[in-house]
Amino acid sequence: MNVVEIDNVTKTFGAHVAVNGLSLHVPQGSIYGFIGPNGSGKTTTLRMIMRIYHPDAGSGVIRVWGENFSEAASDRIGYLPEERGLYKKMKVRDILRFYAELKGLRDFKGAVSAWLERLDLSAWADKKVETLSKGMSQKVQFISAVIANPELVVLDEPFSGLDPVNADVLREAVLDLKKRGATVIFSTHDMSAAERMCDFIFMIHKGNKVLDGTLESIQDRYGQDTIRVKLDGANGFDPSRLPGVEKVNDFGRLQELRIAPGTDTQDVLAELMERGRVTHFELSRPSLHDIFVRIARPESKDVGMGAAGMEAVHA
Amino acid sequence: MRKMIVVAVREYQAAVKTKAFIFTMLMMPIIWGGSIAVQVLLRDKVDIGDKKVAVADYTGELFDALAREATVRNETKIFDGEGPARKQVKPRFLFEKVDPAGEDPSRVGLALSERIRNNDSNDIMAFIIIGADAIGGGGDPEHATINYYSNRPTYDDVQNWVREPLNNRIREVRMQRANLDPKVVGEVTKYAFVGNLGLVSVDESGQIKKAEQTNELANIFVPMGLMMLMLMIIMIGASPLVNSVLEEKTLRIAEVLLGSVPPFQLMMGKLVGMAGVSLTVATVYLVGAYYAIRQAGYASFFPAHVVWWFVLYLSLSVLMYGSIFTAVGAAVSDLKESQSMITPVMLIAVAPMFVWINVVREPSSTMSLTLSLIPTATPMLMIVRQAVPPGIPLWQPVVGVIGVLLMTTFCVFAASRIFRVGILMQGKGAKVGEMFRWVLRG
Repeated sequence: MNVVEIDNVTKTFGAHVAVNGLSLHVPQGSIYGFIGPNGSGKTTTLRMIMRIYHPDAGSGVIRVWGENFSEAASDRIGYLPEERGLYKKMKVRDILRFYAELKGLRDFKGAVSAWLERLDLSAWADKKVETLSKGMSQKVQFISAVIANPELVVLDEPFSGLDPVNADVLREAVLDLKKRGATVIFSTHDMSAAERMCDFIFMIHKGNKVLDGTLESIQDRYGQDTIRVKLDGANGFDPSRLPGVEKVNDFGRLQELRIAPGTDTQDVLAELMERGRVTHFELSRPSLHDIFVRIARPESKDVGMGAAGMEAVHA
Repeated sequence: MRKMIVVAVREYQAAVKTKAFIFTMLMMPIIWGGSIAVQVLLRDKVDIGDKKVAVADYTGELFDALAREATVRNETKIFDGEGPARKQVKPRFLFEKVDPAGEDPSRVGLALSERIRNNDSNDIMAFIIIGADAIGGGGDPEHATINYYSNRPTYDDVQNWVREPLNNRIREVRMQRANLDPKVVGEVTKYAFVGNLGLVSVDESGQIKKAEQTNELANIFVPMGLMMLMLMIIMIGASPLVNSVLEEKTLRIAEVLLGSVPPFQLMMGKLVGMAGVSLTVATVYLVGAYYAIRQAGYASFFPAHVVWWFVLYLSLSVLMYGSIFTAVGAAVSDLKESQSMITPVMLIAVAPMFVWINVVREPSSTMSLTLSLIPTATPMLMIVRQAVPPGIPLWQPVVGVIGVLLMTTFCVFAASRIFRVGILMQGKGAKVGEMFRWVLRG
C-alpha cells in the first residue's frame, strides 16, 4: 500500500516551474530519499505533501493514505522543515509540549523526557531556545517532528549542519522510526546517508523527476562502468589517455576510471599492466554521488568532487 | 477547534508571561494616575518664599483693609496640619504701602517697575496701583481701575487673591457712602443657587426618592475613562500580533505550524489568545478601578450597567483590529515595513478620540448616533453614549454590535486570505495592491 501518491503534479510560482508533472509513490514502511541540486524542487514537493502548498489547479493530485487528506490526517504526519522554526523565547520542554499538543498527543511528558534523554538534551530541557546551538536546536526541531509518533515523517534535510556524532544519533532515530512501522521521506545532500538508509531514492532536477527506484535499480541503469585502480611505479602516467576511458577521478593512491559503453575491461587492464604494477583492480557500479553529479553537472570536469563519493562507497 | 485552542493558549501565555507585559500592566495606571498625582503633589510643593507686593493706593481707603486680610491669611491659611505638625505650604503675601505723594500714577509705576527690574529677588515681585476713583467707579477710566503690574505674568496667585479683599472693602465703603445697612444689603443681594439634579424616581416601597445630585465631572470622566481604557486595551491586545506573526514568519515557525494546523485555525488561535490577553487586562483594570472608586466613596459612579457591553465591544474590537494586524504581520517582511501599514489602521482606531467630547455633550443627537454606528468607531463611541445618563435605546447598541460583528467577520475573512499567502512568502514584503488581490482571489 502506498502512503503517499503523487500523480502528475505541477507547481508554478509565477513564471517559474518549480515542479513539473511529477509522479511518485511512497510505499508504507519505506524510507524514501529525495536528492537533487539546490532549487530543484525538493522542498516544494515536500511542502505539497504537507499541504502547505497546493498543486496548480488542473494539474494532478497528491493523496496521502489514499485521500486528499483532511486536517485530522495531518496529526499522523511529522514534519521537519528545511529552515528551523522555533520560538526563541520558549523553553525547550514547553515548545515540545506545544507541538505535541498541536498533534493531539495527550500524554506527552514521558515521550518528551525520553526523546530529550535520547538526543542528549536533558540538561537543556528548561533552557530557552535562544540559548541553544544550531545543532541542538535542530535536534529539538527533530523531536518536535516525531514527538507524536507520526505514521508518516517528512524531513527536509535533517542531517545538514550536524557533527558526525549527532548525525549518527539522528540517523539511528530515523531508522528506529522505520522499525516502528513509520514511513519516512527525507531530502538530503548527504549521498552516503541516502545510500545507506533509503529503500528508494528519488532525484529531482529542475522540477523534473530524473531518478526513482531502489539504489540497485538506479545503479543497474548505469551498469558496471567504473573501474577502481591502484597502480605502482607509473609516476606521471595519465590514465585518461587510455582507449575507452571517458573520465578519471584521481584520489592520489587510487584512481577511478569511467569507461565508455562497449569497452573491454580486459583491454584496459592489459594497458595498465604495461605502464606499471597493478595492485588493485576493481569493477564496480557508480556511486550515488557520481550518478548525482553526472545528472546535475553533465558538462563538468568533476575535478576534486570524487573524494566524497569514494568515502560514500567505502563507508 | 482543538488546535486553535492550543495555539490560543500558547499565544496567551507567551504574551502574559513576559516581564514586558507585567511592566506595561503596572505602568499604564501608574503613568496615567501618576501624572495626575505628580501635579497634585507638585502643586503643594510651591516656593513658599514671601511674596512682596507694593501697593500705591490713590484712594487711601483700601490698603489697610488689604493688609489686614493679608495678615489674617498669613497667620491662618497658609499652613497644613495642626499644632506642632503645622507646616507652611504656601507663601506669605506681604504688602508694602507706597505713598504716591501726589505723584502721577505713571511715574509711580515707572519707579516701581525700575525697582523690580534692578533689585534682587527678595524685594517686591509686583506692584498694584489703585486708581483714585476706584471706589466711585466714575470719572476718568484711568483713575477708576485697579491694576496689577508684574514681570511674572504666569504667577497669578497674588493677583487672584487680592480681588476679594479689595472688592469686599470697596463694597463696604460704597455702602457707607450710600448710607446703606450692610446687613440689609447682604440679605437683599443674596445669591440664589441653581442645583443640578438627576431625575426623580420611586424606591421599592413606593416612596418618592429624592433626586440625586448629578456630578458633571463624573458624567464626563466615566465615559472618557471607559473609552481610553478601551483604546489602550485594544492596543495592548492587538498590536503585539504584528510582531508575533512576523516572528513566526521570519523564523520559519509558520511552516512547522502549518504542518499541523490549517492557516485559518492558526490565525484564529492567535486572535483568540490575544483577545484573552485583552480580557485579562480589562478585568484587572476594571476591578482595580471599581475598588479605587469605591475606596474614594464614589461607588455609585462605577458604570456597572455598561460593563458587559464594554467586554463585548472590547472582544470584538480585538478580533477586528487584531485580524488586520495579523494580516499586516504576515504581509510584510520586517518591522520597519510594518510601521507604514499600521499607521493608517492606528489612525482609524484613535479617530473616535477626536469627536468624543461632542458625543458626550449630546449623546442622543443624530450626529452622535451616526458616528457611533460606524463599525470601526462603534466600540468606543457607543460605550460613551451608553455611559452618559440617561443612556440610549437598546436597539442602538444592538445594531452597533451587529455592525461590528459584520465588520469583524469581514476583517477576519480578508486577513485570513492575506495571512495564508503572506505567511510563507519570504524576501520582499507585499504591496497593498497585492494584498487586495489575495483577498479577492483567495
